[in-house]
Amino acid sequence: MERQRNDILQGTLALLVLRTLSVHGPLHGYAITRHIQTASDELLRVEEGSLYPALHRMEQDGWVKAEWGTTEKNRQARLYSLTAAGRRQLEQEQESWDRLTLGVSRVLRYA
Amino acid sequence: MAWYQRLRNLMRGDALSHDLDRELQFHIAERADELMGQGMSERDALREARRRFGHVQQQKERTRDVDVVVWLDSLAADVRYALRALRHSPAFTFVAVLSIALGVGANTAIFSLINAVMLKSLPVPHAEELVRVVRKESGDQGPGNPTFTNPLWEQIRDHQDAVDAFAYGDASFNLATGGEARRIDGNWVSGSFFPVLGARPLAGRLLTRSDDNRGCPAVGVVSAGFAAREYGSAEGAVGRTVSLDGHPFAIVGVTEPSFFGVDVGSRVQVYAPICTEAIVHGAASDLDGRSSWWLQLMGRPRNHYAAEQVNARLAAAASAIEAATLPGDWPADIQAAYLHTSLGAEPAATGFSDVRERYSGALFALMVVVGVVLLIACANVGHLLMARAAARQREMALRLALGAGRGRLIRQLLTESLLLALAGSALGAAFARWASGVVVGMLSSRHNQIWLDLGLDLYVLGFTIGVALLTGVLFGLVPAWRATRAAPQAALQAQGRAATSGPARFAITRGQVVGQVALSLVLLVAAGLLLRSFQKLVTLDPGFRREGVLLVSMDGANTGYPKEQLRTMYHDMLERLRALPGVRSAGASLITPISGMGWNGNIEANGFVPKSDRDGIVWFNGVSDGYFATLGTRRVAGRDFGPQDVTGGTSVAIVNESLARKVFGAANPIGRLFRIRNGRGLSAPTEVVGVVQDAKYRRLNEDETATAYLPLTQTDPFGSSMNFEVRSYGDPMALVPAVRTLAGGVNGAISLDFTTLSEQVAASLARPRLLATLSAFFGVLALLLATVGLYGTVAYSVARRQGEIGIRIALGADRSRVVRMILGEVGRLMAGGVVLGTLIALAATRLLGTFLYGLTATDPATIVLAVASLAAVAIAAGAVPAWRAARLDPMEALREE
Repeated sequence: MERQRNDILQGTLALLVLRTLSVHGPLHGYAITRHIQTASDELLRVEEGSLYPALHRMEQDGWVKAEWGTTEKNRQARLYSLTAAGRRQLEQEQESWDRLTLGVSRVLRYA
Repeated sequence: MAWYQRLRNLMRGDALSHDLDRELQFHIAERADELMGQGMSERDALREARRRFGHVQQQKERTRDVDVVVWLDSLAADVRYALRALRHSPAFTFVAVLSIALGVGANTAIFSLINAVMLKSLPVPHAEELVRVVRKESGDQGPGNPTFTNPLWEQIRDHQDAVDAFAYGDASFNLATGGEARRIDGNWVSGSFFPVLGARPLAGRLLTRSDDNRGCPAVGVVSAGFAAREYGSAEGAVGRTVSLDGHPFAIVGVTEPSFFGVDVGSRVQVYAPICTEAIVHGAASDLDGRSSWWLQLMGRPRNHYAAEQVNARLAAAASAIEAATLPGDWPADIQAAYLHTSLGAEPAATGFSDVRERYSGALFALMVVVGVVLLIACANVGHLLMARAAARQREMALRLALGAGRGRLIRQLLTESLLLALAGSALGAAFARWASGVVVGMLSSRHNQIWLDLGLDLYVLGFTIGVALLTGVLFGLVPAWRATRAAPQAALQAQGRAATSGPARFAITRGQVVGQVALSLVLLVAAGLLLRSFQKLVTLDPGFRREGVLLVSMDGANTGYPKEQLRTMYHDMLERLRALPGVRSAGASLITPISGMGWNGNIEANGFVPKSDRDGIVWFNGVSDGYFATLGTRRVAGRDFGPQDVTGGTSVAIVNESLARKVFGAANPIGRLFRIRNGRGLSAPTEVVGVVQDAKYRRLNEDETATAYLPLTQTDPFGSSMNFEVRSYGDPMALVPAVRTLAGGVNGAISLDFTTLSEQVAASLARPRLLATLSAFFGVLALLLATVGLYGTVAYSVARRQGEIGIRIALGADRSRVVRMILGEVGRLMAGGVVLGTLIALAATRLLGTFLYGLTATDPATIVLAVASLAAVAIAAGAVPAWRAARLDPMEALREE
């Protein structure tokens, strides 16, 4: 069960992260987790273990770039920001997500 | 993430781990802050935050894995894809891998030889510090003279502080105490030899300074190979006794297997202290010989002196050293020159090598040859890749259209060519190991074994891999670039074929073929020149008949006989040899033909004014009666030596035609007199009693050599040895047992060495034989490769123009016109190649100068022959596609559209 949840969320995790970054601008990993939690009204909780591998994968694929910066609390944090390729990827993922949910809801409504 | 960032991440390892750590700790810290805001204590908050995060180390590893996984994934995908593509075209893969294997293998073989002979440092610690001490004649700017006498060495050892020096000298010891000699190479070494070099023993101990004092006991050190062969193991050798020229030496230690002395190419088996030379040579010892130059000196600079300091200090010490060792019996002017000689030091990290002197030129020439072969092979592979890329145009275009990155496609294609290059190189490297062994075998002869450490070392490996990568990238890049450039639309529509047409695209391939043809012509010309030189050397008339002559070298050192008794013994020996069954004739001499040894000096005669000191040099030999008849050297005038030419009688000589011409001009030399200049002035007048035809003395390819033969009865023998030439009715080696019995019967302590004259002459031809054989092999190889390239290009061109040809035939064109059209194309490519090749050959073969005999570098006959063979092969290569084109069924061709 837990594995299944991971899979689904992994696929959409990229979408969520990209959207978060496009709304907020540069954020560190913890802030991204908080935002997803808050914006979904606590419906979605990111498994913290899977966030960083996903972020690194997105960095490898060129959708985000990362830099070290300082927070207001004067701590050193690694800030992720969206790249142009990431923006394009976000559009694509949003499109496929809309198609997916539309298709699924149609099948479910079919009586 | 860009590739360079990825590469950098690969290197950053620890730093990356540290960064990741910080990032994850930051996350935990933030979470803890939040929990504390909700009322938890700091400690509880941290614990809870960590618990929620999960296993930190595991997350770190998972994140790190992503980097590697992504990279490995795409690499693995590329390799899998490339392997599949290569498997689908086995013929192409086979030809490409083979071409590269041959090219890389040949280059690696020659390079590993060059490495072993010229580049490798001696296998001792800090070999780069080693220097050689040399004598510099005043005003002489060239390399110094490396030979020293023992008195000079003792002075240098004790009276200078610039270099921690050691001395060594070449020696050949006979292990047998009678009968046939068992010779091994040895070194006389000073006590400082092993300590300064820094060698370590495999068993026992090595010689030290205390082993090398006058009057020392006979101890020695042997090599690991010798110990293993003679005593079964290194430990087994320590304490045993070895007999060197009949004198027992106690073995105190064994050197390591990788240690071979300081002479690259030779294999020293035993090291004896210099002081023991007195034991072995007895009364004839050279330890106090102020005119015997048998030692060479090397060492390490003391006190970290730089090169200039070493030279300055040596030069400063020189005059005192020279004064202390002045040979009193020399003429005054030569004494003065001796006192003015200075000392200097030259770098010597790679040791010395007779092999290097003789073969480095040939090896460089071969390196150029195999380099050219590699170029041709790579050009071939380049063609093949181009043709393949053109064939896959559609596939590439499709993938480009579907959004694949161009860089990614190029990377995939490059992976293919790199795989080919690596496979070919691995195969080539294996072949190279075998091939370089074969070359060394070709250079070695029975009496001159060459031993080289051909083991794979970093240089050779690096060289091979470098060549492989260069090949793969260089010849894969252009096709890959080309293949991914086609505008997708056009490629998809045109069904593949037409998109590749276009003269410009094809021009580079044509240029490559012309280049290949040109290069193979150059190699063929070079091979032809070297082959014909070799043939001339082998078939020239050396002034004697070399078949059927046994050469026997006898050494009576161990008999203990004094000089006169030895002379009588050898005289009797000659008579007995003549009486043996199966012997046609026999003679004796101090020096045998083409042995590499020589004895020369200056002569003076009335009316003879040499153009220079060098011009006045004449070569000498001491021979018995019957020598010329045995060797088959024709007598032109006068008589042979006979019983009237006794020791102490009138000095006589037989001269050759060159000497007669040079010294006496056109006049009859019989009865004329000359005097020989020696250390004590001029000899008694010597009368010319005979003239013989010119015969080769030291080498087959020498120029005219003025030679004077003196009777054995009137010359001083060289030490205690004598050479006999025995002409047999059948196989000369069949006489060996009889000669051995004969010599044993006279005195069991005589040691014997056998060879035949033809073998001795053949051994002197090792280098020309090597060059001729290898250049012929590579020339033919290059020709084959170029032909394959030519064939491929023409076949491809025909395939490309199938439609056009089909139409022409359908419209009624004569099939022979089609053939002529194709052949015309072949002819044009060939002509271009021949012209370019001839120009390059005319310029380049000049470099072969020293290796040629009897030919000029621009010998027209050779060039014509090379062009003709190239043309014949090229026409054959072009004929096949032409014939196929002529047989084309127009309907088939057009249907393919």
